[in-house]
Amino acid sequence: MKYGDKIIYMEGVIVEVADGAVGIDLKGRLGYMKIPMRMLITDYEIKVGQEVGFQMSFIEQLGPDVNEHYIHDHKNMAPEADLSPS
Amino acid sequence: MSISLECAKEHANDPAVLCCRAEEGVVLSSHNLEDPAIFDDLVESGLLNLDGCLTIKEVIGATLTKTSDSLTPLTKDLINEVQDAFAEEEKESEAEEAAAPDAPAAAAPIAMSTKVPGGTLKISIGEGKDIHIELPLSGAGQPAGLASIGNVSDQSAPSCLSTAGNTASDKAAAPEPKLIRSLTRKHYQITEVKRGPETRIDGTVLTIREGIEKDAIDSQALVHDLKIEIITPDKYHTYSETIMDVQPIATKEKGCEVGSGVTRVLDGVIMMVTGTDDNGVQIGEFGSSEGYLDENIMWGRPGAPDEGEIFIKTQVTIQAGTNMERPGPLAAHSATDVITNEIRQALKKLEDDSLVVDTEEFNQYRRPGKKKVIVVKEIMGQGAMHDNLLLPVEPVGVLGAKPNVDIGNVPVVVSPLEILDGCIHALTCIGPASKEMSRHYWREPLVLETLFDPDLDLCGVLLVGSPQINAEKFYVSKRVGMTCEALDVDGAFVTTEGFGNNHIDFASHIEQIGMRGISVVGLSFCAKQGALVVGNKYMTCMVDNNKSEGGIENEVLANNTLCPEDAIRAIAMLKTAMDGGDVKAAQKKWDPKVKANNIELISNVTGKPIVPVKNETSLPMSKKRLEKYS
Repeated sequence: MKYGDKIIYMEGVIVEVADGAVGIDLKGRLGYMKIPMRMLITDYEIKVGQEVGFQMSFIEQLGPDVNEHYIHDHKNMAPEADLSPS
Repeated sequence: MSISLECAKEHANDPAVLCCRAEEGVVLSSHNLEDPAIFDDLVESGLLNLDGCLTIKEVIGATLTKTSDSLTPLTKDLINEVQDAFAEEEKESEAEEAAAPDAPAAAAPIAMSTKVPGGTLKISIGEGKDIHIELPLSGAGQPAGLASIGNVSDQSAPSCLSTAGNTASDKAAAPEPKLIRSLTRKHYQITEVKRGPETRIDGTVLTIREGIEKDAIDSQALVHDLKIEIITPDKYHTYSETIMDVQPIATKEKGCEVGSGVTRVLDGVIMMVTGTDDNGVQIGEFGSSEGYLDENIMWGRPGAPDEGEIFIKTQVTIQAGTNMERPGPLAAHSATDVITNEIRQALKKLEDDSLVVDTEEFNQYRRPGKKKVIVVKEIMGQGAMHDNLLLPVEPVGVLGAKPNVDIGNVPVVVSPLEILDGCIHALTCIGPASKEMSRHYWREPLVLETLFDPDLDLCGVLLVGSPQINAEKFYVSKRVGMTCEALDVDGAFVTTEGFGNNHIDFASHIEQIGMRGISVVGLSFCAKQGALVVGNKYMTCMVDNNKSEGGIENEVLANNTLCPEDAIRAIAMLKTAMDGGDVKAAQKKWDPKVKANNIELISNVTGKPIVPVKNETSLPMSKKRLEKYS
């Protein structure tokens, strides 16, 4: 990565809580992510509306090639897969 | 921040750097020096250059010849004369060590002559004359056990070997091992799996009833569809949804309970659970481990299928939106178990013992007089697919089992044989490379190695769930500490699977055990991507389960799970720690060479070569991946 050392402090808001995952809106309308429970460190019962903080770098393409191995995933990326919060 | 004299002695050979501004003419002491523990970061970020820097023992007592600022590395031109600060003390201690063997000259040959595994009899005589000691030496002809190996915490520098040369022990003096219980596995070979009018086993042919899918679907309200695919080796290059679990097909003989008696198991065939919800979203899964089976499975790992086996693969479709809720993954597993259970019933009916191709016998011995150890296995308990069904009636079954989340994730003691007999039905789903599937426990390498080690008294296996909230994590880890205290163990292994917030309780388990003066070794996937998020002073003996080239979660099923080579290293490390040996500190950054060095050290001492298992580079790569990496 060319810019991997540029670590930025980010904040988000929990917008969805499932038994095994949480959905998080990145503040500033910068995106959304859904992560497994165990990747979230919590001191309190998890509730929608709680704020979270984390450090991240910008995301960079690793190259121009398409990895056929991952093409099957595309169906999960489609809007009808309901990965984003309603 | 300045360091204490004790700290300076510990770091006598580490670089000497000023912790704060010091004036010309000052006689340097430990109070002027910075803690070497922080240097790696400073050097890495370019803030500190240690070229030509003297060591701490070379500067203590010297006079500073030039006023210098904080974080100045002390070089020859900054002090009046290079010192040798702790030389006097070293000489004294050497003298003490040398004096001891001189006195009991007659006793020394006895002390050196026998190295029998097990109970340790230490003879140290400070001063004396004409002392005669007689011991029965019936164990003298026994092979010497692996007494102690100077080992290195993974990710650290090479160390020295030290076998216990002056330890005399005697087998006859130690109580005999006591057989607690036995487990027999009868293996039935399956060479063909087909569909037919009823589920039955004829010779080596397994027939699964046509229409069984409907029963499986009807058994669970959340299951909307279920398909069975029989994957023979020629179909390995088939697309599959994410593999949720790999399970042995086994059943207890009449009157036997999980963990003892006789178990019948089918060889050459396994159950594989996969599934999505109505919208095609993978159950309990993130990212992309679905794909071609032969590119996604690390063959032969304890939890994975072996190459050549037939997979009975269910593809379960559950109600939309339940893929991340607790009932969803559980429904997929329960529906699959309807099929497995029908096969179990067919297996129970077999009366022809000539179909048994292999019989394995597992004996659980307690070995009084030997070092008492426990295996603590941290299993996931955050909810949904982070759950495990404990102690079902049938091996890796569903009926009769309790989810560890419902038990509150508190520690549950099971026998090593219960582990090997499928007392855990794992729902765990991320990440593919490091998750321990149900089959992993069936072939758990650490439990097996410890169970068969004649030098260790394995008293049990402690299963502890990993809850979500920190307060609950510490709640359960305190119970782990108390359990180990009550059991009065000499040593403990703590294992965990995968990475994430489970590393918080993993660290806490080790702390709770270590603070009670119990030697403890931790095993986890760490490497680069799974680097520990927390640590404490008891986390000195660590074994990294990583096998991937890059030190990452590489999405290949079971690639980074605990293998025999990890168990062997952990046992060597725990023995070293229990015998008071040193395990060198880990390096700042992950370095796969440490593991290679440790394996070599152990092989050299035991005389048994350890061949590391293959990793993802042995698997076929898709055309695009080949182009990318070649």
